[in-house]
Amino acid sequence: MKIKEDSYMKGFRIVAVIVIVCASLACLFPFLLIISASFTQNESIIREGYKLVPSVFSMEGYRTVFQFPKQVLDAYSVTVFTTIVGTTLGLFLMTMAGYVLQRRDFKYRNIFSFFIYFTTLFGGGLVPWYILITKYLKLTDTLTVLIYPGLMTPFLIILMKNFIRSAVPDEVVESAKIDGANDFTIYSRIVLQLSMPGIATVGLFLALHYWNDWFTSSLFINDTSKYQLQYYLYNVINTMSFIAGMGAGTGISLGQELPTESTKMAMSIIVTGPILLLYPFVQRYFVKGLTIGAVKG
Amino acid sequence: MRKAAKAVALLLSIILIVSSLAACSTKNEGNKGTGATAKPTDAPKATDAPNGEEPKTGIDTSKRVELQFYMLGNAPKDIDFIQSEINKMALEDLNATVKFNYTTWTDWDQKYKLLLGSGQQVDLIFTAEWTQYQSYAKRGAFLPIDDLLPVAAPVLNDFVPADMWEAVKIDGKIYTVPATYKEYVTDGFVWREDLRKKYDLPTPVDIPTFEQYLEGIKKNEPDMVPLSMNSDMKTNLSDRLRGISHDPIGAVGYGLGIRYESPTDVYPYWGSEEHLNDLVTLKRWQDNNYMVKNVLSVKDTLQDQITSGKAAALLGDNPTRYNDMVIKIQAAHPDWELGYHPFPMTNGIATPVHPIHNGFAIPASSNNAERALAFYEKMVTDKRYNLLTQYGVEGKNYEVKDGYYTMIGDSNSNGFPREAMNGWAWRNPEYMLFDKNYDGVKKIFDELDKIQVPDKFTGFAEDYSGYQAERAALEQVEKQYLYPLTAGLVKDVEKGLKEFMDKAKAAGLEKIQQEYTKQWLQYVQEQGIK
Repeated sequence: MKIKEDSYMKGFRIVAVIVIVCASLACLFPFLLIISASFTQNESIIREGYKLVPSVFSMEGYRTVFQFPKQVLDAYSVTVFTTIVGTTLGLFLMTMAGYVLQRRDFKYRNIFSFFIYFTTLFGGGLVPWYILITKYLKLTDTLTVLIYPGLMTPFLIILMKNFIRSAVPDEVVESAKIDGANDFTIYSRIVLQLSMPGIATVGLFLALHYWNDWFTSSLFINDTSKYQLQYYLYNVINTMSFIAGMGAGTGISLGQELPTESTKMAMSIIVTGPILLLYPFVQRYFVKGLTIGAVKG
Repeated sequence: MRKAAKAVALLLSIILIVSSLAACSTKNEGNKGTGATAKPTDAPKATDAPNGEEPKTGIDTSKRVELQFYMLGNAPKDIDFIQSEINKMALEDLNATVKFNYTTWTDWDQKYKLLLGSGQQVDLIFTAEWTQYQSYAKRGAFLPIDDLLPVAAPVLNDFVPADMWEAVKIDGKIYTVPATYKEYVTDGFVWREDLRKKYDLPTPVDIPTFEQYLEGIKKNEPDMVPLSMNSDMKTNLSDRLRGISHDPIGAVGYGLGIRYESPTDVYPYWGSEEHLNDLVTLKRWQDNNYMVKNVLSVKDTLQDQITSGKAAALLGDNPTRYNDMVIKIQAAHPDWELGYHPFPMTNGIATPVHPIHNGFAIPASSNNAERALAFYEKMVTDKRYNLLTQYGVEGKNYEVKDGYYTMIGDSNSNGFPREAMNGWAWRNPEYMLFDKNYDGVKKIFDELDKIQVPDKFTGFAEDYSGYQAERAALEQVEKQYLYPLTAGLVKDVEKGLKEFMDKAKAAGLEKIQQEYTKQWLQYVQEQGIK
């Protein structure tokens, strides 16, 4: 039996659908422009600007990128590697930290929490950080430097701690102990199982951080084969704007290696494409993680 | 126990606070202090001792070292191979290996600051006036190499002419090795010569003839934009307009003007009759549609607009870049033609680049100063090193045909195009190879050589630490009020100019101008510039 909809609800639905369609079109539009521009001949972009349908169709952008795909592929594999390793390692460390910090029988939990929290308020700043990593840790040009700084994020540790506190009641831990489980077993068999939604959320945050990171590459990586994907892309565009802006006074030649508009667009598609395809599938978990956390509040 | 733990926690957090505050306050001084204090004292000591023991270089090479070489920009694809080849030679000659590092163009100025400020091991680094060589040298970021030069790099010391050494001195000390290749980066009109012939338009030699040319294009080619312009109003439009019409000594900042013939006479340009007239001219250009309406949001490079056929003329560009455009157009549109008229031909100010324009310095943090200098000598004066690092491997990356450089393949497939290591600083005129296409530039250079005059401006090191806040504020005002005026988008020019001047004065224009003038006059007096 169907509940009859009144006209108010019907009206609301129509309006809602229209609004959402408009909003998603607005989101889709720039992306369509990029796709079309990546298939347009470069000269016609400069002469006539971007168009939804390429005025002069050309594959030159993709051809240039794939003529020597090594750099793009290198950057891809570096980013995929750091994202996977960083997320796994980071999740392991942060769940452990969160678990320990919320155990009531851990005497110094407040002090330790305070130290972790403290660094979010007071930090040394860029220069000391740079000196630490280059001079003392000597991590320049290693994959470690891309993973290491992001492993323990205070915000995510606190998030994890609070999540575990709300998801795993003390009594469960206690009864597990009575059943003869040691601390690590409790962590791996009980805490981890119960806090899956929280782990999914933190994991997504972490993964996004590693995927979008370009700054560490920019500071610490000289070896072009170890560039992260985002940095690779960012650098291409910066080179372009630098040479355009500074060149006249400096006498730097414009002759070579300047990617054209269509190449840039083709590169953006290649770089963002896979994530766009992946996102709808992962998004489910993301939303779930957020809402589960929210309901528990 | 609990109390003790609390006390420890408190203590640690206090230390953290103190250290973080300390880090904030020393950050600025970090550039001045870190390396400079310790190193310069022991470097000369080291050179004195083993003097003359090694007849080859005059320095102690018994210990093998790795030199950290830093250059701006992007590394070429084949850098690893070049590096290993160089290292084979350097190991034999100097018992040293080198690592070529590149900053890329992303945030290069920030990285440059970090490299010099962090005390990190850097042995050689690129310097130029646009990397603030003078101010870094003043703050002690580089090692003075006066004493080191005759010992570690005697050949290089003789190779660079004495007046060039003199010109790069900051407070009486040499901090950088200047490049000896003479080039001009003076501006010149660029226009589509084929269209000029077709419609019988005048050859642009000054602003009135340039304007006639623009007018002719507008009339005859309605689909084209006469003037190639983008959002960078200051460098691309107003500086160049002043460059051709007011005989400036250089790109003087903060709305001041200094004419080439009278360096001691600093006059306010912003708000003057001269400025107003320029703005009226630009307004006319906008009204007559020589520029596009949305010029303030155009991001395309000026050159792309010419080579794609969107625009017909460019207000000013240097000979090298003009030549790049010619090459591009020849490849894509052989029936087009470009014309060029250097500004110096009209106003007589043909200044070759100043010696500090390209150089290499040894940062104060370097532990291997003499080896670094000896290595740099090799880069410049040893033909094997020089050719390898400028042009790559002969037969693989390039060929020499009739004395001309010829690239093998194209710039995409070649792992080392010409000067791919950005080796502007270690160019050696005796070994330099040029592409056949470059003959056009050389011809212009030859013309300019005939009328060359010295650069009186670039050696000046402005110290803006006294008015940094005002400077930032002024920049904002300039973007907001002056750019639209320059683009000719403000209806009432006179009123707009007045408003801009009011805002600029409120931002501290007068203080900046006074201080700048004072520094400049002091410089002029010290250097005896007339």
